[in-house]
Amino acid sequence: MVTGHNGRVSIGEELLEERRRRRRAGDPRLTDADREIFRRITTGDLADEFQAALDADLVNDPLLGGHDTDSDA
Amino acid sequence: MIDEYLAVSVLGGIWPDGLPDEDLGLPASRHWRLLQRVHAPGSGQLSRILDELSPAGRQSVRYPHPEILQVLDPRPLLDEAASIAARYGAGGLLVAETLAAGLTHGHQLWFGTARNVGQALARIAADLHIDLHVTEPA
Repeated sequence: MVTGHNGRVSIGEELLEERRRRRRAGDPRLTDADREIFRRITTGDLADEFQAALDADLVNDPLLGGHDTDSDA
Repeated sequence: MIDEYLAVSVLGGIWPDGLPDEDLGLPASRHWRLLQRVHAPGSGQLSRILDELSPAGRQSVRYPHPEILQVLDPRPLLDEAASIAARYGAGGLLVAETLAAGLTHGHQLWFGTARNVGQALARIAADLHIDLHVTEPA
């Protein structure tokens, strides 16, 4: 924590720290169940299926994936 | 600049080790791929579980909270992306736009898994002096 010359945290540092905390907390609209779904997709049991779906987008959409989709996945 | 994995992670409140504590951007074509999961689901387990998202969960993917990540406006990146695609023969919009975004925003690209990087992107990023980071071991 950065403090000013009087030893107190500056207003700017307070605002930045609040912003950092909000950002790291994730989307406040999500339920706990939503967060668990997101975790399963990115690092859990559904990660392989998620990657397969992303790869399929490149194969199925030539604009997105280009011609050489094998190497652009 | 982050990929789909990291976008979903940070929206869910998981901030991977090493990811810089600064504003994050998601290229529009990568947001498009996330939107496909919501709007054009398949028939597998992934689709079934995504169907269980609350309305707020779907909104979170469709309209990411701007304090957490920004979906980048693709228009200012298009010319650079087209130039990259033409010069390297990189082909697709996903790779070209991601590289253009990396060139424009900090020369760093962050991925949640090595599987989502791709050979062409890695090769061209190195040539353009764009740093690639993966937050989990390959």
